[in-house]
Amino acid sequence: MSLLALILVLILSLGAGLLLQALPRREHALPTYPQRAPFLGGGEPDTHAWSRYHVRYYPMALLLIAFEMEMMFMYPWAVVFVEKGAMAVMEMGMFLAILSVGIVYAWREGVFRWQ
Amino acid sequence: MAVSWLRKLAARGPARVFLAQGEHSEGVREYLALSPAVQLVDSPRHASVLLVAGEVPIGWRDDLRRVHDQLPAPFASVWYQSDPFDELISAPRVDTLEALPETLLATHRDLVLQRRGSSPRLLPDVPPNPWQGLGDDGHGGEGMMGGNPYGRPMAMNMQDDRRDGLTLDTLTFRLGPFHPGLPPGMQAETSLQGDLIQTWETQKRPFPESVDLPFHAARERPVSIAELERARARHHLHRLHLGLHLAGWPGLANQVLRLASDLAGQPNIAGLRRQLIRGGFFRLAQPMPGHGRLDDETVHQVGGWMARAAGVGEDARSQDASYRRLGFTPICQAEGDTASRWRQLLDETQQSIDLAHQAERLDLATANTELIETPRGPWGEDAPDDASQILEEVLPGLEWGEAMATLASLELAALETVPGEGALANQERRA
Repeated sequence: MSLLALILVLILSLGAGLLLQALPRREHALPTYPQRAPFLGGGEPDTHAWSRYHVRYYPMALLLIAFEMEMMFMYPWAVVFVEKGAMAVMEMGMFLAILSVGIVYAWREGVFRWQ
Repeated sequence: MAVSWLRKLAARGPARVFLAQGEHSEGVREYLALSPAVQLVDSPRHASVLLVAGEVPIGWRDDLRRVHDQLPAPFASVWYQSDPFDELISAPRVDTLEALPETLLATHRDLVLQRRGSSPRLLPDVPPNPWQGLGDDGHGGEGMMGGNPYGRPMAMNMQDDRRDGLTLDTLTFRLGPFHPGLPPGMQAETSLQGDLIQTWETQKRPFPESVDLPFHAARERPVSIAELERARARHHLHRLHLGLHLAGWPGLANQVLRLASDLAGQPNIAGLRRQLIRGGFFRLAQPMPGHGRLDDETVHQVGGWMARAAGVGEDARSQDASYRRLGFTPICQAEGDTASRWRQLLDETQQSIDLAHQAERLDLATANTELIETPRGPWGEDAPDDASQILEEVLPGLEWGEAMATLASLELAALETVPGEGALANQERRA
């Protein structure tokens, strides 16, 4: 019985999905080929738009490590730093200083620039 | 089909218009931007009406056909001071600027309410480059990048990267001549690597630019300095309007236009400058120091206020006895980059307004008709010539946004020495 209900739900959801896709297409033909071309103010492209684009993950990965790792180590550190005292503060200071070098490098690479 | 309430609602809105500017179409964009009946859009995809303003020369017509066919149906075209193509003979033609917003709105409403059919397509509905895929994966031939799947080559890595050594595929295309970011009529072939411009080659020069009638009159007889300087301030503010529109600041851009349309009073240029500084307009114009800077050679090719923005203190007004009586001295910047050109434009606008007030009190007219300073540069024996080839040196190496901001801060079209239809229409309207 439950299997039947599941199949029914599957059919209903599939049907609703297909209907939602088909309804808007009822009256509208596909745009013409010239309309589908990229808008360049009357000009035309020489090549496909399938070009490989480098999104430059390295600085972003570096930045993630700089901020994320810092927080990850700060939670356990917060638990023990009262017990360990000045030693723990000093160690965390050194750790943050090293991470800051990464942030400064990323800054120089223009990661924080709004584009 | 009965007209639905949704169509009635859509018909109440402004007409969404894409403007394709031909020759002598000065002032149309600025006039329509302030009209509540019209909303100018930057892409044909968002428009229901294509407005062709001014005559389109034969070499530019195929480009206009492509733009025409990029509007989504139902759409229509309206022709201002221009003859429609033979295939579009039933399209409305308008000859006065005042009648334009009403015609655009009426055309838009007729389209939405289905009282008018859509404009016919001018180009055949066939793929520009048919599929020529080969092989099991259909990618067009041997190996990963072989063949031309759509008859066009794949973007390939032809040149070394200019930025940081991470090479990207080169994308080459022609932009314009009806792109709102470029001067009207200009077409350029450009190659991009990512968002960085590698090469820029001007293929069609922009249409010659007409200045207001007082400048033409000043070459023939003495004219009122107040009138001349207000025309100059208006010209500069119209340029700033384009820059602000490009920067995504439509509200302030229209405020600048309203300032430009009422220069007889005491327009608040200082307030405008504060708004621009607070909003980061100058930082946006120059995100990296030195970008968009003109070198010594290009500065002399462009001349005028753009040269003064680079520290060249030459201004034809210095040689006019009436201007000397007003204590005129040219204003200059030092850097010559995009941000300093915008600063120069604001400074010269303020200077022109001050000069107009002083000249009005003294009722002064120009004394020199041999050499005058137009907003495009000095006009003596020769008028300022087209300088769009300097972009081939200035733009490569810039990111796309920086390049467009730099382009908006430059006036590179040749000066039209005979007043065009646009200038005459603007003068009649203001009179």
